[in-house]
Amino acid sequence: MVLRAPRWAAPVSLVLTVIGLGISIYLTYEHYTSSKTLACSDNGKINCLKVTTSSYSKIFGVIPVSDLGLVFFVAMAALCLPAMWRSQNPLIAQIRLGGCLVGLASAMYLISVEIFGVDAICLWCTGVHVVTFLLFITVMLAGAFAQPEDA
Amino acid sequence: MAKKDNPGDASRRERAAAIRAAQARKQRTITLTIGSVTAVIVIVLGLIVAKSLQNAPKADPSQTSGLASATVVNALANVSDSDFDTVGVGSASNGPKKISGGTAMTADGKPRILYVGSEYCPYCAAERWGLVVALDRFGSFTNLGQTASSSTDVDPNTNTLAFHGAKYTSKYLSFTGYEQQNRDQSKTIDTLSKDDQAIFNKLDTGGSIPFIDIGGIYVGSGASYDPGILKGMTHDQIAKAISDTSSDVSKGIIGTANLFTAAICGATGGMPSNVCTSAGVTAAAAQLG
Repeated sequence: MVLRAPRWAAPVSLVLTVIGLGISIYLTYEHYTSSKTLACSDNGKINCLKVTTSSYSKIFGVIPVSDLGLVFFVAMAALCLPAMWRSQNPLIAQIRLGGCLVGLASAMYLISVEIFGVDAICLWCTGVHVVTFLLFITVMLAGAFAQPEDA
Repeated sequence: MAKKDNPGDASRRERAAAIRAAQARKQRTITLTIGSVTAVIVIVLGLIVAKSLQNAPKADPSQTSGLASATVVNALANVSDSDFDTVGVGSASNGPKKISGGTAMTADGKPRILYVGSEYCPYCAAERWGLVVALDRFGSFTNLGQTASSSTDVDPNTNTLAFHGAKYTSKYLSFTGYEQQNRDQSKTIDTLSKDDQAIFNKLDTGGSIPFIDIGGIYVGSGASYDPGILKGMTHDQIAKAISDTSSDVSKGIIGTANLFTAAICGATGGMPSNVCTSAGVTAAAAQLG
């Protein structure tokens, strides 16, 4: 007896990861091109440039946060492929859920940094945070609605 | 005689148990999902509420304006030589640049420093601290004002000094400071003279502030350090932190002061020599553009 994820789990999670991957690629590109073409307000509270060029934009002052976001969504996209959802190996589901929890915790940390550290909000980053949040809900509900079936 | 199960019954029971287990797991997971989503929303809302409480005005805004306190004025005028040398350039960058083909700008036979800024401007707020510390090495201020940057711009409410109404006396330099607009940009405070407006227009084609012309030889534009390091600090706290050379405030303000001092020394011909040959100023001079 194995658990089979509902049919909507693969397409919904894959669409979310592709959206997150797209935004992450854009933010990574902007990071390495001095954010000169960042399509976002650059004054007041909504200020992508202030966030993406702040001292918080690199972990330990070395690793760009945008790179970590890119790695996260590449990994999650792989874990959300239909073949991975069909896999009968329970470890896959555990890694996928663990990845979502790490992503969600990172998003919460980055939101607090934006609010208290940088004092500005980056809309593109918020997009990534929302996608991560929705991905977490999708993976949780997919686990809840998984149906037992014979192996 | 006990009834013997046939294989079909066992399979059905196993399947029914699996379905019951799946339903129980489903219920647990849905509850966990709802709990997690609620927790995330509560945390984010909590962060926003905490931030809005943090930003709430803590004091009557009128208290930020007026003359700088004696404590602040004395702290700025009495930065020790060792502190200047210890910090050197500190965290300051974007120091004054040499004016290509510049001609000496003087007043009363002394090199003249021209500052153009506005009270609302957060970058001016940061830069004034370093500029005043530098100018205090060549002379002294009376009636130095204090204010804060705009409450709605980036780095809001950054406490700072103000040159409107201040008088500067020095045997080495002449100083003119303009604060064009007040904190909320609702009124003009100082209007540039025709000649100073011409200098400003010529050297600062983008009209960005703060603008600092040092004797017609060097020109500075923009902040030399991040105004954010002054966030939430009172005037007294900033003045006190300057003497802690390990602090970000000290590294920003004294570093900026050394950069300005090095440029001013270029205009005064290296006078006074004890200031212009000090280790901090020598280090800063090497950084000037």
